[in-house]
Amino acid sequence: MAEDTKELLDSDEGLDLGDEQFIDKMPRRYQRRRPRQSVPDYIDWKDVDFLKQFIPERGKIMPRRISGISAKDQRRIATAIKRARIMALLPFVQD
Amino acid sequence: MANRVYEVMYIVDPDTPAERVNKLNAAVAKVVEKEGGKVVKMEDMGRRPLAYPIEKKTEGHYVLFEIEGTGSEIAELERRMRVNDMIIRYITIRVDEDRKRAEKLRSKREKRQAIRGRFRQTNEEAAIDSAADAAV
Repeated sequence: MAEDTKELLDSDEGLDLGDEQFIDKMPRRYQRRRPRQSVPDYIDWKDVDFLKQFIPERGKIMPRRISGISAKDQRRIATAIKRARIMALLPFVQD
Repeated sequence: MANRVYEVMYIVDPDTPAERVNKLNAAVAKVVEKEGGKVVKMEDMGRRPLAYPIEKKTEGHYVLFEIEGTGSEIAELERRMRVNDMIIRYITIRVDEDRKRAEKLRSKREKRQAIRGRFRQTNEEAAIDSAADAAV
C-alpha cells in the first residue's frame, strides 16, 4: 500500500487516477518549474531586447515562479527593468 | 579615492535642433572635465520612440555618457541637468561595482573550466596508457 502511493507520486500519471481517496492523501502537485535559465554575468539596463524576455504583454515583470531564474538574478533583472522604465525604454504599463 | 564609473543617460527634447544637442553634449563633457572627471565614452543614440509619453512627447533624443570620476562631477552634472529645459529625463547609474562582480564571476568560471580541462587530459593519458598495455 505504502509502496503503491509512493509510486503514484513519482509517476506523472498520478493525478489522472480517478480514485478520490488517493487525491486527499496526495500532496498538492505544483507545476514543474521551467529549468533554470542562465543569465549573463552583467545585466545591462540598456539592453531592451534582453529585458523584454522577462516582460509579458501587460508590461509587468515576470514572476520568479514563471521565469525560473535564481532569486539573485531575478533581483538584478528587476532593477535593470526599473531603470529602463525610468528612461522610457520600457513601458510601466502596456495596454 | 578609488575612481568610480558612471553611466549617465539623458533624453533631450526632440524639438531642439541637432546643433544645439551637440553643443549641450560638449557642455556636459566640459562640466565633467572641469570637476576632475573623465569622459570614457560618449554616444549619441539619436531619436528613439519613448515607451510612454513624457511632457506630451512621443519621441526623444537619447544621449549616453560613460564617466569616470570621484562623484563630485556627477553631483554637479545632475544639478545642471535638473534645471536644463532641453533635458526632459536623465539617469545616472554607477556601474563599476556590477562590472567588477561580472568580471569576477567570469574569471572564476574560466578557472573552473581550466581545472576540468586538466582532468580530461589525465583521462586521455590513462587511455593511452591502457592502450599501450594492451599492445604489449
